[in-house]
Amino acid sequence: MVSGGKFLQAVHFKGVIMTFFFQSLLSGLLTGGVYALAGIGMSVVFGVMNISNFAHGDLMMLGMYMAYFAFTLLHIDPYLSLLLIIPTAFLFGFLIEKVFIHRIIHHPHQNQILLTIGLGLIMSNTALLAFTSDPKILTTSYSSSAVTIFGGISLSVPLLLSFVITCLITGILFLFLSKTTTGLALWATSQNREAAQLMGINVSKMSAIAFGLGTALAATAGALIAPTYYIHPMAGHTFLLKAFTICVLGGLGSVVGAGVGGVIIGVVESMSSTYLSSDWKDVVVFIIFLGVLLFRPQGLFGKKGEQ
Amino acid sequence: MKQIAIIAVIAGIAAVLPLVIGESPYFTGVLISVLMMAALASAWNILGGYAGQYSFGHAAYFGAGAYTTMILISKFNLNPILSMVAGIVVACIIALVTGSIVFRLRGHYFGLASIAVAEIVRLSALNFDFTGGAQGILLTDVSLWGVDLNSKTPFYYGMLLVLVVTLGIALSLRTSKTGYYLQAIREDQDAAASLGINLAFYKNKALLISAALTSVLGSLYAVYIRFIDTSAVLDLRLSIEIILTAIIGGVGTVWGPVLGAVLLVPLAEMLRSNVIGDALVKQGMVSETSGLGVFLKENLAHAHVLVYGIITVLCILYLPKGILGLLGRKK
Repeated sequence: MVSGGKFLQAVHFKGVIMTFFFQSLLSGLLTGGVYALAGIGMSVVFGVMNISNFAHGDLMMLGMYMAYFAFTLLHIDPYLSLLLIIPTAFLFGFLIEKVFIHRIIHHPHQNQILLTIGLGLIMSNTALLAFTSDPKILTTSYSSSAVTIFGGISLSVPLLLSFVITCLITGILFLFLSKTTTGLALWATSQNREAAQLMGINVSKMSAIAFGLGTALAATAGALIAPTYYIHPMAGHTFLLKAFTICVLGGLGSVVGAGVGGVIIGVVESMSSTYLSSDWKDVVVFIIFLGVLLFRPQGLFGKKGEQ
Repeated sequence: MKQIAIIAVIAGIAAVLPLVIGESPYFTGVLISVLMMAALASAWNILGGYAGQYSFGHAAYFGAGAYTTMILISKFNLNPILSMVAGIVVACIIALVTGSIVFRLRGHYFGLASIAVAEIVRLSALNFDFTGGAQGILLTDVSLWGVDLNSKTPFYYGMLLVLVVTLGIALSLRTSKTGYYLQAIREDQDAAASLGINLAFYKNKALLISAALTSVLGSLYAVYIRFIDTSAVLDLRLSIEIILTAIIGGVGTVWGPVLGAVLLVPLAEMLRSNVIGDALVKQGMVSETSGLGVFLKENLAHAHVLVYGIITVLCILYLPKGILGLLGRKK
C-alpha cells in the first residue's frame, strides 16, 4: 500500500519529469524548425546543382551579421529585417553562382567542394577582419521573454517567432516550387538535368536561381537564429555540419527530407542536452549521422540506390 | 630512379641546411613547419590524390597521434617512440571505423563522414577528462635515449625523416599494383570494380597508410611543441589547410604537396609575423600612422587564412592541376 502523501509525491514527481520532457521536446522542435530552413537551403542547391555547398554555414553567418547590423545601425527589428535580407542574400547567391560556381558545374565533385570551401574561407575571414572576433549579441526588447503554456512549459518568444516565420517561409517555398513555372522548372532540373534541358529549360539559369534560393534560405536561418545565439565570424562551421547531417538524414537533395531532418536534429540536440549533457549534444548528432550512413545511406526520404 | 635521386639530393640539402643557417631558432621553427606540412599534405595525397577519396578530417589522425603520445608520456612516462607507435594504432582504429562505414558508399559521402568522425574525435577530446579537456596537455620535460629534446634540431631531422619516408612510400606506391588500382578507382570506380578490384579493400589500405603517417607527424609535433589542445591538433581548420596545401601544389603528384608547403607555409608565416606589413611601411608605400598602416599592422597577422581562401578559389578556377600543373610537368 502506498500512503496518500507518497502517492501524491509520486504523481507530482512524474509530472515534473513529463514537464521536463515536453519542455525539451518543444524547444527542440522550435530550434529544429530553423535548422530545417538551413537544411532545405542546402538541399535545394544539392538537388538542382548536385553540389555540396561547404560555404552554406558561412552564408548563414552572413545572415546573422546582416540581422545584427540592420538592428544596431538601422534599428530594424531582426524579424522585420528579413524583408531586406532575403532579397539581398538571393542576389548575393545568384551572383556567386554566376561568377564562380557556374564555371565548375561540370568539374569533379572535389573541385566543387574545394571552391565552396575557398569561398567560405574568404567570407568568414573577411568577416573576421571587418567585424573582429568578438562575439556580438543581438538583444531585442523581447529577447529573454517567454510564454508559458500547459502550466509549466515555457517557450522563448524569439524562438517561437522564428518557428512561425520558418513555417511561413517553408510554405511559400513549397507553393513556389509546386505552382510557379520557375519552381516547376527547378523541380524538373533537380530530377533530371539533361531531360530538363531537352525540354527547353534554361538549366544554367536554374542553377543560379537555386544557389540564390539556397543562400537566401541560409541567410534567413542565420537571421532567425541571431537573437538567440552568439554572432561570430566562425559560427558557420557548426551550422555547416548540422546542415549536412540534416541533408543526409533526410536524403541528399530531398526538400521534404531536409525539413523533417532539421526538426529531428533539433529535437535530438535538445533531448541530449537535457538528458545527457550539452557538451555531448553535437557528438550525438554526428553519431546519428554515421548511423544513417551505415544503415540507411539514402536517408529517410531518399530513393534507394542513389548512393 | 630519377625521382629517388631527387629525393636523396633534396634530403641531403635539407640535412645540411641547419648547419648553414646556424642556430636560428626562428628559421629552424619555420623550416620544421614546412617539412611537417609537406609530409602531412603528401600523406593526405596518398588517399586524396591517388585514390580520389578526399578526406576532410585528417586532423583526427594527427590529433590521435598527438593525444595518444602526450597522454602516454605525461601519465605513464612511456618512451616517446613506443607512444608514437601507440598513436599509430589509435589512428588506424579510427581510420578503420571510418573506412568500414563509408567506403561502401560513393560520391559525397566519404568527405562528409570524414568530417563527422573528426568532429566526434575533437568533441570527445574536449569533453573527456583524461585528454585534459579544454586545457589540453602540457609536457614539462622529455628526453629520449639521452638526447635533449628541448632543442629544435632533433625535431627538424625527425620531420625530415618522416617526409623522406612519406615521399618514398608515395613514390613506390605510384608504380606498384596498389598504386595503379588506386588510380583506377579514382578515374572510374565502376570500371575498376568490373575489372575485379576490391574497391573497399584498396580504399581502406590507402586510408590506413595515410592515417598512420599523419599520426606519426602528430606525435612528433606534440613532443616538439610540448603542448597540445583540441584547437591546435584536432581543428577542422588543420584538415582544410592540409588539403589546400596539396591542391595548390598539385594534387595526385608526388611533388605537388611538397611544393605547396614550400610556398604556403612561409607565406602564412610572413603574414603572421607581419613581415609583409612591415615591408610595405618600410618601402614608404604605406605610412605607419595612417589608417591603412594601422589596419595592416593589426590585421594582416590574421589574414593568412583569407589569403589561403583566395588562392584556393583562383587555383580551382584557373589552375585545377595546381602550381605544378602550371609548370607543365605532368608527373
